[in-house]
Amino acid sequence: MNELSLRSLFTSRVALIAGLLVVSGVVLYVLVSKPFLVLIGLGAFGPGIFRELGWLRDQDEFQVQTTRRAGYHAYLTGGLVTVLVLSLMEVRGPLTGDASEWILLVLVVLWMTWLFSSVMAFWGAPRTAARVLSTFGLFWAVFVFTDLISSADIGGDPMGFVLRIAAGCAAVAPFFVPAFTAARWPRATGAGLLVVALALAVLLASGGNLPLATQLLTMTLLLVPFAGSGIALLKTDHPHPGRG
Amino acid sequence: MSPRHEVRNDVRRHRRQLPELTQQALADRVGVTRQTIVSIERGQYNPSVGLALRIASALGVSVEVLFQVDEGQVDE
Repeated sequence: MNELSLRSLFTSRVALIAGLLVVSGVVLYVLVSKPFLVLIGLGAFGPGIFRELGWLRDQDEFQVQTTRRAGYHAYLTGGLVTVLVLSLMEVRGPLTGDASEWILLVLVVLWMTWLFSSVMAFWGAPRTAARVLSTFGLFWAVFVFTDLISSADIGGDPMGFVLRIAAGCAAVAPFFVPAFTAARWPRATGAGLLVVALALAVLLASGGNLPLATQLLTMTLLLVPFAGSGIALLKTDHPHPGRG
Repeated sequence: MSPRHEVRNDVRRHRRQLPELTQQALADRVGVTRQTIVSIERGQYNPSVGLALRIASALGVSVEVLFQVDEGQVDE
């Protein structure tokens, strides 16, 4: 096994372990106890810290440059959001409710900016948009169809069931249709994604009486894939070239 | 006013002159990922001197043939 294949294997193992830590951290944080957040931190930041200390050498120069640039983007966005949150506190008075949600909002902004910037530089806008939207769409589809099937009365009302399945398809279409068209018509898809992001923002802003931090957190998680992909696709000069 | 140095490269053209040399094969030879070669060929990433020399060596040409600098454009 040569040096490169060893490095590829090592990179995929590091990514796998980091991914497992993040996923298990999310699951345990949601289902068991909030201190399991530390697992997410280890998975998200551990490999990068090891690389900067020189203990982990699993990336080539383009990957290192991409990651560091993404880090700068995360610094800028995270810094701006932190200042905005602090300013908001000054205007609205001391925080009421769960302060950890505000900290979580800043963390999510930091991490999503870093992740989005990394994959965007690595894959290019059309592929990133297609993959991010497909991933989010898949999670959303599992959620929607699990709910549909578990509450369905197929024997009693088959027509109603078909209509609900159609409604489910309509709910996941905003993810999969642009994922399919991103490479072919990047600018039109980008514009469409920004419209969807705007519609979602209006919908989420008017929905319910959730605390402000929770609303902003939900908006960040749902809107970043649409808005980020949309802006990146609008900046695309030409359709994705073929591979050699 | 400052000169803008655009780096052009002919990596794709020279690679395609060697039929067996896919992006992955070139990446393996020079010790990077395929995505790095893709980004260099698209002009989205300018490699370090060391990597440029390794690519030139793998393609059997000199680095000056592979990479050129345009100094014509000037920022106002």
